[in-house]
Amino acid sequence: MEIKYTIQGLLIYITIALYLLALFASIFRLKKFGHLLYFLGFIAAVVSFGYRWYHVRHVPMQNLFEVFLCLGMIYPVSLFSRYVLRIGGQTADMLIGAVVLFPAGFIFSANPLKLPPALQSWLFVPHVTVYVLSYIFMAKAAFHAVLQLLGKNPRSGDNLLPPEEATYRLTCVGFPLLTMGLVLGSVWGKRAWGDYWGWDPKELWSLASWLVYVGYLHFRYMFGKKHPRINSIWAIAGITVIVVTLLWVNLSRFFPGLHSYGATM
Amino acid sequence: MWAAMALITLLFFLSVYGAFLGPKRAKEFFNSIPLTVFWLVFIILLIAGIGLFRRLIRKPALLLIHAGCIFVFAGALWGSVKGHTLRQKLLGIDKIPSGFMQIYEGHSDNRVISQDEQIRELPFSIGLKDFRIEHYKPEYLYIQSRQGDYWRCPVEIGAEYFLSPEYGMIKIIRVFENFKIPMQGKNRIAVDDPGPGSNPALEIQIVSPNGESTTRYVFEHLPGHMHPGDELSLTYQRVISEYISELQVVRNGKVVAEKDIQVNHPLRYGGYHFYQQDYDRQAGRYTILEVTSDSGLTCVYAGYMMLCIGLCWHFWINKLSGKGKQILKAEAKGK
Repeated sequence: MEIKYTIQGLLIYITIALYLLALFASIFRLKKFGHLLYFLGFIAAVVSFGYRWYHVRHVPMQNLFEVFLCLGMIYPVSLFSRYVLRIGGQTADMLIGAVVLFPAGFIFSANPLKLPPALQSWLFVPHVTVYVLSYIFMAKAAFHAVLQLLGKNPRSGDNLLPPEEATYRLTCVGFPLLTMGLVLGSVWGKRAWGDYWGWDPKELWSLASWLVYVGYLHFRYMFGKKHPRINSIWAIAGITVIVVTLLWVNLSRFFPGLHSYGATM
Repeated sequence: MWAAMALITLLFFLSVYGAFLGPKRAKEFFNSIPLTVFWLVFIILLIAGIGLFRRLIRKPALLLIHAGCIFVFAGALWGSVKGHTLRQKLLGIDKIPSGFMQIYEGHSDNRVISQDEQIRELPFSIGLKDFRIEHYKPEYLYIQSRQGDYWRCPVEIGAEYFLSPEYGMIKIIRVFENFKIPMQGKNRIAVDDPGPGSNPALEIQIVSPNGESTTRYVFEHLPGHMHPGDELSLTYQRVISEYISELQVVRNGKVVAEKDIQVNHPLRYGGYHFYQQDYDRQAGRYTILEVTSDSGLTCVYAGYMMLCIGLCWHFWINKLSGKGKQILKAEAKGK
């Protein structure tokens, strides 16, 4: 664990601080002030991402530090969920934003790296972007699954969906993105390495996480809301496998493969 | 539906197991006879599912998703090693599933070393006009003192960099692609040899605070090398931006196609794809290409398209649009 005494580090710490302040403001029912802080945190996250972009001279999605920096810009997903999907959890999003920026601020190395030849492809940005978006939606879905298991429901006046339905709806948004991430990765693998499926550990864990959600969607189709706790467990299992795919596969020595460049500690 | 759930769960556990095997063993495992049977069962079940569940036919989005999966699996089986072997036995179509070619600069070859280490021949030859490696600019000289001070200096001939009052300054004198000191004659002068070989190096001058000047050579292949009495550790580092093979396709003695291939930009010709795979790391005289057959690829890509379109249609348009929300509500109430 290291503190980054750089402009990049400072921007990350400001974002984390704003997200946490927003979280506390929301907890203490200062909703409008909390929302303002959350928005300012998002602006800081965008500036941080833009600064990194300027610094490394390519879209910063190359390694875990940059992916987590990107994950920190969660605010538009919160708005989309609240006003389009009628799903709450904005307070939790503030926490998610702070949590995902923590490894970027204190754990992963921010050393700028040039893009290796394999990453110099038009598929680089869409592949990572859809994955990052899907991970945020799935993380939110898992949060609502936990709420369902804890028996928490939104207040009646908020006009928000109950947690089980929120989990399903968020998965409905995230699953096509997850699939596109897998498909774009496969097409890219074909262009770069000659095979659309290389049986690499990262690919297999990505397939495993996709299959958990396939299972969830089939199970929910079979039983609807008859077994809400099992539905929630599916969604939590999904995000668990995603975390393994994103972190363990890149950082562990168990899984050497073509995606190892993603890990820089 | 339970059968589908069972197969999905089984495939999940197989994927996790395969992840622990590593790419090579996982590939063998998933292409083994029992797993080939598993894939066939998966396809049959998907087809049966479409036949049995009327909803899958009534809803085009769901049909696209499931038919897309069938296309992906079918294309993968068609393009697999076993698919190639089967086609050769049944239809007499002889195609190399995958392999490698080693081609020297200025030569052409049609021999492919297949994955089972057999030498097979393509119906055309691939010629290598030139192979080169490009690097990001600027290149850097990294300097570190024994006390842990650290400097990064862009490599530019004639550039001078002041390090500190303690260590003085350095000047970049010369850049070598292939550093050599000929052993003939009395004078040992470093030259940049245009012949085969690769030994990138820098000639630098270190001027100490008291004005003493020493010449040092820094080799890319010896990063951080220092003698016992040296104060500074020097590393010459270049970052590869691209590997480029200038290829020609020769058929009946005539050049029928040309392409400079790079990573992410393969050559496609005659039902095969040619990828930049490796190169002669000692002297850069030859390139190694990966050759793969394109059998089944169109089917797989069509499946991907169907899957993605079907999912967006079903989950985004049907479920989340205004009408979709009503359906979702009705479904929720019904269950």
